[in-house]
Amino acid sequence: MTHRLPRSSIVTSIVVLVAAAVSIAGAQTPSSTLPRTPDGKPDLSGIWQVMNTAAWDIQDHTAQKGVPAGVGVVVGGEIPYKPEALAKKRENYANRATADPESKCYLPGVPRIMYMSYPFQIFQKPNQITMLFEYVHATRPIYTNGTQHPPGHIDWWMGDSRGRWEGDTLVVDVVHFNDQTWFDRAGNFHSEQLHLVERFTPLDRDHITYEVTVEDPKVFTAPWRMSMVLYRHREPNAQLLEYECFTFDNEFHAPVPSK
Amino acid sequence: MTRPLFGGVIASVVAGAMLSAGVARIAAQGPPPPPKNPPPPGWIDPRNPPKEDPNWQPPRTPDGQPTIEGQWGQASDIITYSIEDPEAERAGHTAISGQRPMVGRPIIDPVDGKIPYQPWAVKFAAFLNAEHIKPSKLEYLDPVSRGFQEGVPRINYQGAMQIQQFPGMVLITYDYHHSYRVIPLDGRPHVGKDVKLWMGDSRGHWEGNTLVVDVANNNDQTWLQIVGGFHSDAFHLVERWTPAAPDHLVYIATIDDAKVYARPWKLRVDYRRQKVDEQWESAVWEGNRTADVVLGDSKK
Repeated sequence: MTHRLPRSSIVTSIVVLVAAAVSIAGAQTPSSTLPRTPDGKPDLSGIWQVMNTAAWDIQDHTAQKGVPAGVGVVVGGEIPYKPEALAKKRENYANRATADPESKCYLPGVPRIMYMSYPFQIFQKPNQITMLFEYVHATRPIYTNGTQHPPGHIDWWMGDSRGRWEGDTLVVDVVHFNDQTWFDRAGNFHSEQLHLVERFTPLDRDHITYEVTVEDPKVFTAPWRMSMVLYRHREPNAQLLEYECFTFDNEFHAPVPSK
Repeated sequence: MTRPLFGGVIASVVAGAMLSAGVARIAAQGPPPPPKNPPPPGWIDPRNPPKEDPNWQPPRTPDGQPTIEGQWGQASDIITYSIEDPEAERAGHTAISGQRPMVGRPIIDPVDGKIPYQPWAVKFAAFLNAEHIKPSKLEYLDPVSRGFQEGVPRINYQGAMQIQQFPGMVLITYDYHHSYRVIPLDGRPHVGKDVKLWMGDSRGHWEGNTLVVDVANNNDQTWLQIVGGFHSDAFHLVERWTPAAPDHLVYIATIDDAKVYARPWKLRVDYRRQKVDEQWESAVWEGNRTADVVLGDSKK
C-alpha cells in the first residue's frame, strides 16, 4: 500500500506481518475449499458476528449484573497505556454508565463496531467492500481500488478505510477518527491519532480470524493487538434487522430538559 | 417512544373527524400549476419527463441482471420539506434561510399531486402541518429532524445513493445518515408481521428491465415530509426502478395504506448518474440538538 502513513506504521506493519504469519501457520486450512469471488479472492460475503464479550470489556473480566464474564481479546492481556492515559481509563471505567459514548447511541467507531453483539453483513466487489451493521445501521465502505486515504485530518466516527489483499488476507488501514469513541464499555479509549491495521483471514468458509493492530502515540506507549473470530450466520433466513438505539429512550430524542 | 401517532392523539382526531367527515374530504383537483420559481438546470419534471430511447437496453451484470449500478443523484428538485406544495409550504422557510425555492412535486397520481388521505386523516395531516414550525409536543416534530431514519420512500428523494448489484441481491447505500437497504432477489418471504422496521423489509425481482421491490413491515413512525405526511403500520409500497438511459434511472412507487389513505397513490423520482466515487460519513444522530432548539422553551 502506498498510503502516506505515520512513520511508526512501518514498525506496526512488520509486527503485524510476523504475527499474521504465525497465526496463519497455526490455523492451516486447505485454501482450495474457501469460496472465492470471480477475481480469485476469498469471498467474505455473508452475515457475521462475534461470539465474545469484547464490547463490554476487551480485557479479562468477571461477570457483573447484565454483563457476562469474558476472556479478553487483547493479545498478551495488557494495554500499554501512558500513565496519564491509564488514569483517564480508570476514570472512564468509574463513569462508564453515562460517559460511554455508546450509551448515547453514537456510532461506536472501529474496531468496536466489529465486536458489538449484533450481526453485520459483508458485500464484496473487486474495488469496494461494504460492511453494513445492524447496530444503528452503521456502514463501512472499504475501498480496495488502490486509492489512498483522503488528506486530513478528518474527524469521522467510523474512520476512513482503505483495503488491500495480502494472499488470502484482507488488510484494512483505518485513519481519520475523532477522539469520541471507546473500545468498550470498560472505558478503554483513544485519541484522534488512532490508526488501525485490520486483518481478515478466512479460517474456513464459516469463520474469519479478525485481528486488529491499534496504534495511537498520544495514548499508548506501543502498538497493541486484538484477535478474535467472526462466525458466519448459517440460518437460511438470516438477515439484518434494525437496532435503532436512539429511538428507544424518550430522554434521548426528547429535547434534553435544560432544567 | 410509545407510538405517538397512533395513541390517544389519533383517537381524538378520529372522533373529531367523525363529526365533520362530510366536509373534510377535498375532491381531487387538476394538475398543479407550473412552478412559480425557476427550476434548476437539468430538472426533470415528473409530469413531463424526457423521451428516452425505448430501444436502449441496459448492460447486464455477470449474473444477468440489467445493471443499475453506480452513484445516482436525484434530478427532480424534490425537497423533503414538502412533496405536495413545496413552493408555498416552504415560502416562510426560504424567506428566512435565503435558500433557493425548490419546485419538485413527485406525486403523479392523483393528478393534483396531493396525498389522498381518508377524511379523518386530512384533518390530522392539516394539524401536523400547522404544528410543524413550532410543535407543541415532541411527537409533532418531524422524525428525521429528531435524528431518526427517513424510511421508504422519503430516503429516495432525500439525496444521492449508491446502488451495487450482487448475485441474488441489490444493495442501496444512501448518502444521508448512512442509511441502507438490502434487497434480496431470491424470492424469500418477508419477515414476520410482528417485525416493524424504520426502513421496511424489501424483497425484489426483475420484470424485464425493471427492478420491482415490495416494501413491507414498515413501522408507523416515519413521515413523508417535514410538514407531516404520515402513515400507519399498514404502509406498503411497490417500487419500480427502471434504467431509462445510460445516465437516467426512473423510480415510481405505488403506495397504499388502508388505514390512512383513500386509495393507492404514486410518486415518481428521476435520477441522473453522478461522477463521484465515494460516500463519506454522514453522522446525523450524534450531537443532534434539533429537538432541543425547536421545542426548547415549550418543553420546560
